Amino acid sequence: MIRFLARRCAQAVIVLLLVSVIVFGLSRLLPGGPARAILGTHATPSNIAAFNRENGLTGPLPAQYWHWLSGVLTGNFGFSYVLNQPVSGLLAQRLPKTAFLAGISVVLAVLIAIPVGLYQAVRRGRADDYAVTTVTFVLYSTPAFWVALLLIDVLAVRLHVFPAEAPQGSFSALFSDPGALVLPVATITLVTIAAFSRYVRSSVLDELAQDYVRMARSKGARRRVILTRHVLRNALSPVVTLLGLSLPFILSGTLITEQVFNYPGAGLLAFNAALQQDYPVLLGVVLVVGIATVVGSLLADIGYALLDPRVHYASDSGAGR
Amino acid sequence: MSIENVSAVLSADERGGRPEGEAAGGRLWLQAFAGNRLAVAGLAVVIALTLFSFVGPLLYHTDQIHTRLSMETLRPGPGHPLGTDNVGYDQLGRLMVGGQTTLEVAFGAAAVAVILGVLWGSAAGYLGGLVDGLMMRIVDALLAIPAILLLLFLATVFRPSVLMLIIVVGLTAWLVPARLVRGEALSLRSREYVLAAKTMGVRTPTIIFRHIVTNSIGTILVNATFQVADAILVVAALSFLGLGIAPPATNWGAMLSDGLNYTFSGYWWLTYPPGIAIVLTVVAFNLVGDGLRDAFGLDARRG
Amino acid sequence: MSARAPAAGAAPAGPVLEVTGLDVDIRLRRSVVHAVQGVSLQVAAGETVGIVGESGCGKSTLGLALAGLLPENAVTRGSIRLGGRELAGLAERELRGVRGAEVGIVFQDPMTSLNPTQRIGDQVGETLRLQRGASKAAAREAAAEMLDLVGLPRPREQLDRFPHELSGGMRQRAVIAAALICQPRLLVADEPTTALDVTTQAQILELFDRLRQTLGMATLLITHDMGVVAGHTDRVFVMYAGREAETGGTAEVFDAPQHRYTAALLESILRMETQRKSALYTIPGRPPDLTAAPAGCPFAPRCTAATSECRGEFPPAAADGAHSWHCYHPVPAADSSPEVTEAR
Repeated sequence: MIRFLARRCAQAVIVLLLVSVIVFGLSRLLPGGPARAILGTHATPSNIAAFNRENGLTGPLPAQYWHWLSGVLTGNFGFSYVLNQPVSGLLAQRLPKTAFLAGISVVLAVLIAIPVGLYQAVRRGRADDYAVTTVTFVLYSTPAFWVALLLIDVLAVRLHVFPAEAPQGSFSALFSDPGALVLPVATITLVTIAAFSRYVRSSVLDELAQDYVRMARSKGARRRVILTRHVLRNALSPVVTLLGLSLPFILSGTLITEQVFNYPGAGLLAFNAALQQDYPVLLGVVLVVGIATVVGSLLADIGYALLDPRVHYASDSGAGR
Repeated sequence: MSIENVSAVLSADERGGRPEGEAAGGRLWLQAFAGNRLAVAGLAVVIALTLFSFVGPLLYHTDQIHTRLSMETLRPGPGHPLGTDNVGYDQLGRLMVGGQTTLEVAFGAAAVAVILGVLWGSAAGYLGGLVDGLMMRIVDALLAIPAILLLLFLATVFRPSVLMLIIVVGLTAWLVPARLVRGEALSLRSREYVLAAKTMGVRTPTIIFRHIVTNSIGTILVNATFQVADAILVVAALSFLGLGIAPPATNWGAMLSDGLNYTFSGYWWLTYPPGIAIVLTVVAFNLVGDGLRDAFGLDARRG
Repeated sequence: MSARAPAAGAAPAGPVLEVTGLDVDIRLRRSVVHAVQGVSLQVAAGETVGIVGESGCGKSTLGLALAGLLPENAVTRGSIRLGGRELAGLAERELRGVRGAEVGIVFQDPMTSLNPTQRIGDQVGETLRLQRGASKAAAREAAAEMLDLVGLPRPREQLDRFPHELSGGMRQRAVIAAALICQPRLLVADEPTTALDVTTQAQILELFDRLRQTLGMATLLITHDMGVVAGHTDRVFVMYAGREAETGGTAEVFDAPQHRYTAALLESILRMETQRKSALYTIPGRPPDLTAAPAGCPFAPRCTAATSECRGEFPPAAADGAHSWHCYHPVPAADSSPEVTEAR
């Protein structure tokens, strides 16, 4: 197992470096260079030259990259000329809120999707499986923003149960009106459940078809025992890894939800930055989210290695990954 | 990128020894697919909507270029079966035109994604070693960035047009097929017929195409259908965020999000037709993808 | 509970397993598969009966029926008596008590029969805990004894290992240990050696022989391999298309097969004396579709001696002592039939 983990960590480091290279590359992709994008079209050549000197945008690319990377490693993510703040400050303000929103939604989604998927698998082919499958299918195929707006239409506008806008302000202000969090969380949760329960269902079905389930039946074990002791454990370990890999997808959905509900998180920040061509901010968010995903995926893999004895006790390296 | 695709990525590398996309005996998969009622229904819906979008305007003529503000937001009625939108376009005609763009972009983006992914993944998997390691780390890095952020960036830098959308969406979607095909290639490269070809001196690109890719066709096809479904949702999201194509061109996603501005006025014909069209199409493609997966006997967890 | 002591008190008089007129239908969405039709057989304590036939002849379904493991869309008719107790028609709850405790079953592929994430010791002892309410410690102790009995080296060490750490042969031994730990009266082994290499096959079969002597259970050995049947069974039951073709003492049936199908099966075995230039004998044609059971003898379409009588009604049983067969035109005693070139 140690070999496996060591290799995964080494890979993760390489991937992180590549993410940074990609983000750096994107920042240099901008037509006219970042200077023009930031200073605007009225900038004079001398302004641009001064700007470039100040921000380490002169010299060969590798040197620029190194300059930029060392900045990032010391917490300097650049400066937003649109919002007149250092990017790191903005990120520090907004990221926790996104993490909170996504975090709660994912936890809820997983807690609901597992029993739902299990139920679907066990009742396979019967009326209730078809019903639940249809619902999750449709939910899964509906654009997230429509789900959000439908929720708003029904629950906020017509029934006045929850507000249509998320609470603004600082992180603690989020909790001032917990009702306002319901709809955003519900949106992300619903969309995620739809996808996850499908996956849990297939995973459980695949496990149920395995011979060892037949073997357990042949010993006289009861259905419930078989499900919990044997099947669930094996069916869930891929789900753990799936979680790690789905982070980008979940964050995409979170961005849209933030936009709809005006939730002051990193997604909305990125969106507004894109509209206003505030590239330092946009790229800052990209970088941080990329790092979070790699780390999250690594953690999920570690968890998987700890849980699955085939990896845990493997004496050699496993199939090349 | 959907969870469907993500779950497929999960074990693409872990498979080790059992390539699952092998062409299951010629026409056998076709028969299996034909026996699956849901899958056939999905295919029927796809064909119906394609015909509706491309052949419809030939039978039902409307003006989709010039706005007529005097006719704005009429209810469905004589002359306008689905009413008109906020600038006077006939909604039914608009649905057809929007469908054309939606399907064009979706198919185009899926094609771009699959072609890129197959090229990258088969090369990486077949060549193996450090090359494979590096190529896959690049894929990992790109996967770590949420597609929507990349799309936000690309869409603000490049002018949106149908071609641009196809390329941009395809560029963010090729990663999953790459991983899938790479997994297949890894399994297939040690098969006897591949080794035999190598020994006979067949050139590498030929080996990759004739042996690796053709025997992964099942996995590729299944993923391609899911790519189309995803692309439709992605374009819808982009249009909602205002990064779509400029009018008078339109697509279902744009129609839906424009119409949502009027939800509270009760103009249901502005939102439900395009919305339902999107859901129907995505469901249909997913059914077809599931059906293909079953027909090829691929493991449901592994795409 | 010691696993070494043979079943206390001799087996009750009469066969351990008595199957009479068993029909098993599998209900599919649009058709019904008649997997087993009118099968009757007996197995006595300490006896091994080989059930042999091609893939799809219903032998596995028969095995599952005896172990009470049929899927929900299966309908059974007829009688299955185990130790005098009627099993057919029992509710699921009661069947659960039978499985593992009275009937042990061993499947074909030991790799997939074992839960990859559970330790060997736990899996072997599981039946004891489920059926006899044994404590974890007692089950563990019994499992160690059982693993020793099936010939696993260093049994106590194996208890904490995972399936992927054992070789194929060792895994199958573990599966056998798990099936026998409650000392069931009947052991059903469905193609237990098919997934193993030839050397290991021989070892496992020898193990079955040994266990039979030590534990005295009745054994049903389901296989498609005539070689397995020849060396390790007392009696043989040949199945075709869900029905009995022939049954009797193994030596008798192999010496003088009566049913054309049995003869053909024996003919297809590769022998040392087979001429190098002669083509390998295969039975022409394919087994019938069990959803549309034709009238008459199911082997008729492939049989060179078939007549219109064969296609009319299913042949009644003809017998010679304990040896019986269902054929209108059994193989003649003289070696003139082209189907049987070498009598053993």
